[in-house]
Amino acid sequence: MSQAPKNVAPTTPYSSADASIRAELSEIDASLRVSSLFFITSAIFWLMAGTVLALIAAIKLHEPSFAAGSELTTFGRIRSAHMNAMALGFGNNMIFAVCTWIMARLCRTPIRHGGLLLIAGSFWNLGLTVGIAGIIKGDITSVEWLEIPKYATPLLAISYVLIGVWGIMAFRFRKGEHVYVSQWYFLGALFWFPWLYIVAQVMIIWAPAQGVVQSVTNWWFAHNYLGLWLTPMALGTAYYLIPKVLGRPIYSYYLSVLGFWSLAIFYNWAGVHHLIGGPVPVWLLSAGIVASVMMVIPVIVVAINHHMTLIGSRLNWWKSPTLRFVVFGAVNYTLVSIIGSTMALRTVNMTTHFTHFTVGHAHHGVYAFFAMIMFGGVYYMMPRVLTREWPSASLIRVHFWMCALGILLMVFALQICGWIQGTQMNDAINYPDFLQIVKSTRPYMIIRSISGVMLMVGHLAFGLNFFWMLFSAGAHRVQQEGPTLLISKKEGSKT
Amino acid sequence: MPVENYIDLLPVILLGIVFFGSAVAMIFWSVRRGQLRDFDDQAKVIFTHEEPEGEISDHFPDK
Repeated sequence: MSQAPKNVAPTTPYSSADASIRAELSEIDASLRVSSLFFITSAIFWLMAGTVLALIAAIKLHEPSFAAGSELTTFGRIRSAHMNAMALGFGNNMIFAVCTWIMARLCRTPIRHGGLLLIAGSFWNLGLTVGIAGIIKGDITSVEWLEIPKYATPLLAISYVLIGVWGIMAFRFRKGEHVYVSQWYFLGALFWFPWLYIVAQVMIIWAPAQGVVQSVTNWWFAHNYLGLWLTPMALGTAYYLIPKVLGRPIYSYYLSVLGFWSLAIFYNWAGVHHLIGGPVPVWLLSAGIVASVMMVIPVIVVAINHHMTLIGSRLNWWKSPTLRFVVFGAVNYTLVSIIGSTMALRTVNMTTHFTHFTVGHAHHGVYAFFAMIMFGGVYYMMPRVLTREWPSASLIRVHFWMCALGILLMVFALQICGWIQGTQMNDAINYPDFLQIVKSTRPYMIIRSISGVMLMVGHLAFGLNFFWMLFSAGAHRVQQEGPTLLISKKEGSKT
Repeated sequence: MPVENYIDLLPVILLGIVFFGSAVAMIFWSVRRGQLRDFDDQAKVIFTHEEPEGEISDHFPDK
């Protein structure tokens, strides 16, 4: 037991030579095979559906007569269906796949209750299908980020409870004492989300609070869906994958813990900055603005940690499909958060509020940061779960370039457009005609549709590669030179 | 739910206090269990003999 393998730092209690104490990573990976395939397949389905819905909505903004024949395809319904398909369908299925896998690996425990995850996943996808069909049918609620009609939410809640129970059980039966920073982020998110969801459902849908309290709750929930659910899940994934792929520990573990706790303290307050200028108590907005600016602390801490870990790695991150996506996401986390803190300032918000600037910011956060890190996670995870290589390195490159350039184009177009739009709307003397301002956004909306097509191409490359890998059983078994490395160059042994 | 007074929000405020209390308890738990010590060693727990420290574990085939 005391004889650790020679290439392992003897300080880690997790790498015991005694197999009864140590759980092999390959064994853990195998125990999650069925549930992770289910979640990723579902995620890719929602990604495709969400992209098509997004394109319809995007085209409508410069060609209003497009798909205008039916009430089913009006902008309000299609846009909300797109957002729910992406945030709840793609986002959560990815989280359920990638983050449960990392959690199981860090807890060093093969999954005993894989069935629980499958039941949870089935409820989630069923609830969401009913919910999005309800949105398109016209049962949409009028509350942004909570558009899913009342009759579908219990299914989502059951599913969430099962996932939360699974996370707590995995943590409870973990081997080893230490809790790695990624586990902190995942556990934090699993703990925060029910709080957010219960309060928002009760105060907005089941027993609606009257007056501004409802909109305060709405934006507290909506912003924290990103801040206390998607963000910690993606940060935890990056904190695992960056040091893991490079084979070097994170630059400063101390800073990573500081980053987690400062995010936990500040993010929860920030959501009300969406209501700046609204009829809300001023102290509440000021508290939200202060918290938004204080978010600079965890953001800088994470930026130092992620970027300093990369320095000196001689561009190895660029040679790894996983890290290309993860590092792109990490850089954009820094950018989007700093822009977000700036947007919360009253003077800046006066221009950006009610414009495409905010839409660009939302896509910057959820796609360029969150989704890209999750793609990276899938590229690392699947070869290990399936013990098979990715069949095509070219498709991975197409996916990366189309999505990276596509999302940057979209963010630039929307934010430049939004700033001009905001300046014009604040200048009633020179721009008295509102419709003229709307018309002047048209070229940017066309660019946005082009960027949407680029993302579509990237997603098709990703889906094609995934299903090719899944169904060509045996054809792309682990080889010495595969698109993602499962075999150590030096030893030639399977991991 | 009519909300004309902060007292009307008492159930939500109580729920918030419970959650906040749990978060504070988590900090105390982590301090007591030594989670905030020996940071250098703790950063290495992700490496095992299957995926050891010092080895790059992911790359494009031709790079």
